[in-house]
Amino acid sequence: MGGKRKKSDIEGGESSLASKDNGDESRNNKKTKMEVLPSMIKNKEKRSAVHAKLKHQKKLEKRKKLKAREAAEKKALELGEELPEKPVPRTIENTREADETVCKPDDEELFAGNDADEFSSVLSRQQTPKILITTSRFNSTRGPAFISELLSVIPNAHYYKRGTYDLKKIVEYAKKKEFTSIIVVHTNRREPDALLIIGVPDGPTAYFKLSNLVLRKDIKNHGTPTSHMPELVLNNFTTRLGHRIGRLIQSLFPQDPEFRGRRVVTFHNQRDFIFFRHHRYIFESKESKKTDSKGKKAKDENAPERKIIARLQECGPRFTLKLRSLQHGTFDTKGGEYEWVHKPEMDTSRRRFFL
Amino acid sequence: MPRTTTLECPGCPPLRALTFDALGLIKVIEARNTQGVPSVIERWGEPDSSKCVVAASINDQKYDPLLAVARKNGLVEVLNPLSGDLQAAISNANVADLQPEENAIVGLHLFAKNNLELELASRCCTLLTCTAKGNASIKSIEISNSSTESASIGSSRAWDVCAGGSILCCKVDGSEKYALFGGKGVEVNVWDVDNCTKIWNAKPPPKNSLGIFTPTWFTSATFLSKDDHRKFVAGTNSHQVRLYDISAQRRPVLSFDFRETPIKAVAEDIDGYSIYIGNGSGDLATVDVRTGKLLGCFTGKCSGSIRSIARHPDLPVIASCGLDRYLRFWDTKTRQLLSAVFLKQHLMHVVFDSNFVFEADIASGADRLPGEEKTKNEIILGEEFEALPLKRKESSKSKEKNADNKENKKHKSKKNREHKKSKGNDQTQKSASGDERSKSASKKRNKRSNSELAED
Repeated sequence: MGGKRKKSDIEGGESSLASKDNGDESRNNKKTKMEVLPSMIKNKEKRSAVHAKLKHQKKLEKRKKLKAREAAEKKALELGEELPEKPVPRTIENTREADETVCKPDDEELFAGNDADEFSSVLSRQQTPKILITTSRFNSTRGPAFISELLSVIPNAHYYKRGTYDLKKIVEYAKKKEFTSIIVVHTNRREPDALLIIGVPDGPTAYFKLSNLVLRKDIKNHGTPTSHMPELVLNNFTTRLGHRIGRLIQSLFPQDPEFRGRRVVTFHNQRDFIFFRHHRYIFESKESKKTDSKGKKAKDENAPERKIIARLQECGPRFTLKLRSLQHGTFDTKGGEYEWVHKPEMDTSRRRFFL
Repeated sequence: MPRTTTLECPGCPPLRALTFDALGLIKVIEARNTQGVPSVIERWGEPDSSKCVVAASINDQKYDPLLAVARKNGLVEVLNPLSGDLQAAISNANVADLQPEENAIVGLHLFAKNNLELELASRCCTLLTCTAKGNASIKSIEISNSSTESASIGSSRAWDVCAGGSILCCKVDGSEKYALFGGKGVEVNVWDVDNCTKIWNAKPPPKNSLGIFTPTWFTSATFLSKDDHRKFVAGTNSHQVRLYDISAQRRPVLSFDFRETPIKAVAEDIDGYSIYIGNGSGDLATVDVRTGKLLGCFTGKCSGSIRSIARHPDLPVIASCGLDRYLRFWDTKTRQLLSAVFLKQHLMHVVFDSNFVFEADIASGADRLPGEEKTKNEIILGEEFEALPLKRKESSKSKEKNADNKENKKHKSKKNREHKKSKGNDQTQKSASGDERSKSASKKRNKRSNSELAED
């Protein structure tokens, strides 16, 4: 073992030596040729010293860079030139892996597909959505509370006790009673942990993992929602699969929002997690004095005296969904065909997203 | 720079595939260069959900290839697979009184050889269709070159395959004399197509040790080799793959489980013993049915149910497609993903056009005008049917001829070899089944003796 490691040490040292050659010129170190990476030094004191030095140098460089940039900005501002472009930080989202399934706005096949899919009758307002909400076999504490809040969020939703019925029987029942979707809240250890959304006559079945559930009473300064039809915001459902999930969620809500209610339900997709929020908004006009005292930026001085701002009040539950599988047809675990299943072999990159 | 893993696709050999999707579109995918990236060349039809393709069959002979497509609304269309021209269409609705949606066509086969009783002068094609309720029929249609909707039906035979249940799979063997049917509540049965008689019916496997009986639900089936109608493989909804041998017994000779979701597609290899199976959660694997051992899986982030698998007759390539809207090409030897094409719709079926040869110097779009071809067709038909092969590329006549000859020779030699192989296999398997019989017999004896003892 030991011999092997030594060998690799030597090799690694050589390679990094070559790479660091030009950088070392600035440093007049006696060890320049020997020392390369602090992790290769075996003496701990020396290693930590070298490491601290390196770190200090990096810090200095960073500060220098920042100062130079600030100076350039100041200069440009004085001369009245264009400000230098601000660098955009690289995030996981904007370096996401290229996906050919991302929907394009001018794709006629996509629209044809939309017209033919299971939700088109609801979304084109030929049918009003009617939702059946039920639970898993066992249900306690947070489950019923969550359901009562879901009932207040989704208009025309009806709660049915699960009893001991099979889900397939419930689907049959819902078909007969002309429901358009079924939501099953699955509870585990007295905590809702999964959500199953079934499109009813022949729609798909989506299985979501549910996490970070915060009920209304736990939200500070929460409001109580009115019975107006809510507006719906669906963010970032870009791929073909995401589009389909978006339409599935859209089909739960009526397509004619009452804007008087100022009630908005948001499904925001970020890195394949769907965040649910429920707000009431209000447009308020505020005096500009306040903003002056608070704001430091030069822009605020030009603002008009009275300014209209939107204020939000959160009401209803708050939770996060993650898609586990999308199944073709109604609920059928044994004989069902999947349109999409999450498989572990897909998780080979942090930058690959499916929605 | 951020580390990104790009899917490494080596690309396909030149090939041509046709896919059929849920909106009734037919897309032609071609890979052109030796390591080309396949792309959609043509799209036929307008998106319409009632025209959803439920079954398709291609007859890719050298002369006058044909493609039959069955739609959800009960319409069967015969197309030219080169240009996409509609050549004939028949409606299945008048056969049954039921709605076409309820009694949709599930199986379709386009016979390669023409029936001898029919005159060669009139162009005919023979179709076997089977609906979900079990109404099978054989029709021969006269193809009119003018694209009129109603084609004249020369002769037709119809029979009922099953009394109850619903048919889900229908397959015709290589010699085109036998057809097998199976489905939900219908055990696999084999019919003689010429006489419309049932020659064999499978028996459900016995109850397991707990006395639990799994209901019959066949989802896919295929004959194992082209020139042997006696052995076939069927996939069930309870994720079981079964090998039947008509000459041996009525129960499956071999059966094994594959993963947890229903088997949705089964396809045979040309070697006569390995099969490809695809299931409802997008797993694709190849299995040696002589032993029932898994040879390997095709892994490539495929996440939607596989609806259809097609084996290229010459190249070592298979294509799979399904609900994840991708058409994927795989190498059969290395089991590597060659390339994937995103086709935007749920794909129902894929077929290969095996006669596709691509010459790099020809822009194929220019000289493959449908009008020209049609006139050529007519001329050929009017004068001598057997004389000239239909040219796909004008300037590559001589080359193609040579290639054709070579291919034919190869085919023959291959077939011969396969014959020998399959014969050998038969013998060994027969002996194996014989052993089983003797075993079962001995078991019975034991049982009897036990019962006798109990009585005593």
